[in-house]
This record gives sequence, C-alpha cells and structure tokens, in this order.
Amino acid sequence: MKTIAFKTLGCRLNQYETDALASTFQNNDYKLVDFDTEADIYVINSCTVTHQSDHKSRHFISQANRRNKDSVLVVTGCMANNAKEELENRDEINYVLENDNKSALFSLVEAHFKGELKHPSQLDKDLFAYGATEKGFHTRSMIKIQDGCDNFCTFCIIPSVRGRAKSRSFEAILDNVRSVVDNGAKEVVITGVNIGRYEFEHYKFDDLIEAILNLDGDFRLRISSLEPDGFGDKFLGLLSHPKMTPHLHLCLQSGSDEVLLRMRRMYNIKTFKNTVEKVRTIRPDFNFTTDIIIGFPDESETAFTDSCDMIKDMEFGHVHAFKYSIRKGTRAERMENQVPEKVKTERSEVLRGIAEESKLKYRSQFIGQTQRVLVETINGNTAKGYGEHYIPVQFEAEDLKENTFYNVSIKAIVEEKDGLLLGELI
Amino acid sequence: MNSHKVISIRNLTPSTYVIRMEKKDFTFKTGQYITLGFSGSIDRREYSIYSAEQDDYLEVLIKEVEDGLLSKKLKKCKPGDVLDVDGAFGHFSLKEDEIKNKKFMFISTGTGISPIHSFIHTHPEMDYTLLHGIRHKNEAYESESYDPNRYILCTSGENTGDFNGRVTEYLLKNPVSPDTICYLCGNCHMIYEAYDILEKQGIKLGPIHTEVYF
Ligand SMILES: Cc1cc2nc3c(=O)[nH]c(=O)nc-3n(C[C@H](O)[C@H](O)[C@H](O)COP(=O)(O)OP(=O)(O)OC[C@H]3O[C@@H](n4cnc5c(N)ncnc54)[C@H](O)[C@@H]3O)c2cc1C
Repeated sequence: MKTIAFKTLGCRLNQYETDALASTFQNNDYKLVDFDTEADIYVINSCTVTHQSDHKSRHFISQANRRNKDSVLVVTGCMANNAKEELENRDEINYVLENDNKSALFSLVEAHFKGELKHPSQLDKDLFAYGATEKGFHTRSMIKIQDGCDNFCTFCIIPSVRGRAKSRSFEAILDNVRSVVDNGAKEVVITGVNIGRYEFEHYKFDDLIEAILNLDGDFRLRISSLEPDGFGDKFLGLLSHPKMTPHLHLCLQSGSDEVLLRMRRMYNIKTFKNTVEKVRTIRPDFNFTTDIIIGFPDESETAFTDSCDMIKDMEFGHVHAFKYSIRKGTRAERMENQVPEKVKTERSEVLRGIAEESKLKYRSQFIGQTQRVLVETINGNTAKGYGEHYIPVQFEAEDLKENTFYNVSIKAIVEEKDGLLLGELI
Repeated sequence: MNSHKVISIRNLTPSTYVIRMEKKDFTFKTGQYITLGFSGSIDRREYSIYSAEQDDYLEVLIKEVEDGLLSKKLKKCKPGDVLDVDGAFGHFSLKEDEIKNKKFMFISTGTGISPIHSFIHTHPEMDYTLLHGIRHKNEAYESESYDPNRYILCTSGENTGDFNGRVTEYLLKNPVSPDTICYLCGNCHMIYEAYDILEKQGIKLGPIHTEVYF
C-alpha cells in the first residue's frame, strides 16, 4: 500500500480541498500518514497570502524532500499559481499543480505510478470536482460553494491566484450537504474564497443558506469567513435559525475608514458596526471573529489606534492579526509610505495584546452557561471539541464518542491554554 | 484576457488622453473597470470604462501620472497596437430599478469622471447633477458632452469654473436633498470627506456607491 502525506497551509478552503483529496486517496487504497514521517507521496497545498506563508511553503517542500528523496513531491495551492516558474525549476518537485487542476491530483499520481507522465496542463480543470470528505481529518464537513474573488482589494493577491469568482451549482451543493449529513456529519461548514458573493442562476448566498438550513438531519451549520459586504437582512434573519451556529468570521481588516478606502474594501466602519449590533441585539453572546492587517501603507498611528479600539468595541472572540506584507502585482505594492517593519512589529505586539484580552473577556461570559459541544478528539476520558460558538471546550466523561454532541456546563477558562473552556457533562 | 486593437488616441490635455479600442464581444455593466496592459506584459492597471454600454468601441480616459509606469507608456500607444484587456470588474454600478425614477448626484475628481461619463452616455435620460472637481479648467474633460444645466465644474486652482473650490466645499455650501442617489469616484481623500458630508446631510451610501482610484 502506498503512503501519502499532506501539508496544508492557509485558508479553510485549502483545508477542505486537502480533506477531499485525502479521502479520494484513502478510498483508493492509499494510506494517509503524518507529514513528518516517510511517505511515498508528499502533497503541499500551499498558500501565498503573506510573505510568511511563502516562506512556510518553501520550508515544507525542503522538509518533504529531506524525508524521502525518492518520493513523488507535488506542490499545489496558491503558491503554485503565483510562483509556478520558480517551483517548476526546482528539481526535487515532481509536479506543480495550479488551483484549477488541483481536483485532478489523484489522476495525476495514479498516472505517475503507471508510468504515464502527465503534464498538469493535460488534467481536467474543475474547481468543484472534489469527492466527499468522509474520511478526512475533521469532524466538521466542509462544503465548497464557490471559488475565486472579484473584489480586488488592493493588498490581496487572491484574485490573481484563485481567479474570478465562480459559484457551484445550487443543486450540487444541496446534494453534497445531504450526502455528508447522511454519512454522519454533524457540522457542515460552508467554505469558499468570497462566499457572500455566491450567485448561481437566480440564487444568491442567503437563498442557498436558507435552503441548506431547511434540509433534514441532525446537523448544525457554520459559515466560514465572510466579507462584510456580501449580505443583507435576509441573511441576518437566518442567523436565528436553530441549525445555524452563532458565529461569524467577518473580515474587518482595519478599524479606520481611510485605510478601508485605500484597501478598496466595500464597507465602512459604521456599516460593520451596524451589522454586529443588529446581530447582537438578537443574540448578545454571538461570536464575531475577524482578520486585521497591521501596517497597511500609510497607516497612521491614529488609524492603528482605530483598529485597536474596534477590537475593544466589537468584543471579538478571536482576532487573526497579521502584519501587512507586500504582494507583487497588487496595487498596495505601489503605494507610497510603506510602514517600516519595526513599526509593524511594535503595532503587532500591542494589537495582539488587546485581541487576547478581548478573546478572554468574550469567552469568560460562558462560565456558568451551557455549550453543545461536538467532540472531535478523545484521550482516555478527556474529550475536546467546539461549542456552537466555535470556542474550544474540554470536559471529562466516560464512554465518550467522537462526532457526537454533548451538552456541557462551562466551569472555567484556562488563560494559559489560549482561552480553552473547561466544563462538566450535564 | 483578450487582445484588443487600438483604434485611436484622443489627447484631451497635454497629459490626459482617451484610448479607443475595438470592442469585439466584450460586455460590461456601465461603471465597471477593466485591467489594461500591453500584450504579454505583466504590468497591468485598472481603468474605468469611459464609453457607453451600447457603443461599438471600448474607451478609457487616462491621465499620465508623474513617475507613473503604465499611464506614461499607454500615452505613446498608436492605432494598431494591441492591448490586453481583462474584466469587466467592479461593483460600482447603477441599480436598474433606480435609473428611471430617481435623482442622481455624481461627484468626481479628475479622471474619476470616467465611469460617470459612461453612466450618463449609457442612460442619457437620467435625472442627474454632475459635480466635477479639478484644478484648472483645461481638465474639464469633454465637458461639452454633458447637459450644461446638469454639469457643475469646481475648479480649486483658479476661478474659471462654475464654482471656485473643491467639490467638498461645494457640497457643504449646497446641501444635497436626502432622496438623491449619490455616486463618488476619484481619489481617496475626496471620497472620505464627501462621504462624511453627505451622511450628515442624510444621504445613505452603500458599498456600490464609491470607487477609489488611489
Ligand atoms: C478601479 C480603478 C479604476 C481606475 N480608473 C482610472 C481611470 O479611469 N483613469 C485613470 O487615469 N486612472 C485610473 N485608475 C488609476 C490607474 O489604475 C493607475 O493607478 C494610474 O494610471 C497610475 O498608473 P501608473 O502605472 O502610471 O503609475 P504607478 O507606476 O502605478 O504609480 C506611480 C506613483 O503614482 C501614484 N499614483 C497612482 N495612481 C495615481 C493617480 N491616479 N494620481 C496620482 N498619483 C497616482 C502611485 O501611488 C505611485 O506612487 C484607476 C484605479 C482603480 C483602482
């Protein structure tokens, strides 16, 4: 039996695609092994969103090659699009597979072992031809609904590596959800690059979410990352549906309207705040998490302080903060007044501190409350999983089962463990 | 991405010009932009479409930027040259149900008038007021193509327009009635300030109503 190891960097969409690819290999008698063991095939599903992600992707390529020089090494994902030539010139890499060929990885590897050397350009191009993820790495079942983005934010390289926005067929998505739920998935996660812009025939994002929520089955629905511009009141109304989890990752990027304009984001602080307030009026403990870019060109001290203040005001449950890094070919690359690295690092430390406080404050409110935890891992009598608000919860009990919901009363928060909640089974 | 042959270049001022290209089967919604570059080159920039949806050619209005790479090179292109066009992109667009029965205020600076030109020439029947902010009168690009009763030229560098000052100063002195649909296009500072002023005057602005160039 051949062994295959995956390393996934970056976004949830990459994670989903890896899960789906891994399942296809497993269903065809390949053995999935850890990336840090020796394998016959290594697949690096790379990311290129920041300098750091490029750096990490390169690091894992070298690592895989060191582990087994004779392995088949495939690099796919956004770096494969963005640095194709560089990667193709590296002898240790057998195949560089761009995003639109990624779903054909299995046929590429199979052909390789049959001695038919296929060039990735001969493979089928289909952004949605991924198999089900039932044997993947996660309890949550991710469903890809769209790919690509047409927003062209000035800092972002995604439109040039993921391409224009394309939406998957409405029926194919519903079939996909039905099939993962029939196979036992308890949590369905909607994923894509800019999912709020979903549009297929006359169906928009909110129509799709409504249709998924109305499907039968004991599952809950989670929306992955969402742009703050892509939805209206109908979607906000759906957030009260019993199957919907009270969590949204709403990408803010900056707390300053001036910076948002230069980023060419499609909302302002007022509309962002309105959205959060509207939702929290109905559900005060709703978990908003976000992304913030630190040190976008010409970010003044005041603009930076605005970002910090927004974190406090919005009481985000988690902030994914990253320092701005120039991406070649984007508009922001050509902007004046790039912020020095030292200033970015200093701001980053300050902002991370505030984000940490906000997270702990937000999570502490759950002490004394009940969370419906979907157990993902069990170690002896200790179970770990996520509550409906997407906060990690740990509790002890006997005869525990993975992929099962448990009602847990929250007793404490462990600050040293990144705000993990400790609870007791009810 | 498609190759489009240049038909002609029209110089409007020593630094601003209109490139007319063949349209082929390119389609767009008025207000959208394209990315443009020389055939095969990796250097590409965004340009709003200046022409109307129904025109059988594609036009962009470009101002040469000091130390700019592409705006300088494009100025030198000749009829017959081939440019790569990608798009159309963007969400800066009119709502079908508003075009016929609403009052519009278009606020632009410099070449930010480009998508507004496209709006107005695609829907000449629209009830609009156009505010164009520039420094000197020679930058009033093809002002004769707008209804003079609807066009207000704001010149900040000299007193030669209909109003001497910036568009934001005009807006402060001449409040806009709250039932007006406003669209803003141009540089970030103007949009930031005008946005504030309009909000205080009771105007609701959604994400589709602003287009930032730089
Ligand atoms: C959606 C969108 C639509 C646009 N539509 C138009 C249009 O219709 N007509 C048009 O002329 N331009 C338009 N632009 C601006 C255009 O894309 C280029 O930025 C501009 O032509 C300069 O490109 P360049 O290669 O010459 O300069 P670069 O080499 O990219 O930049 C040189 C320097 O000039 C600064 N700069 C960039 N743009 C401007 C500017 N417009 N004015 C002053 N300084 C600037 C940069 O910050 C940089 O420091 C649009 C931009 C966007 C985002």
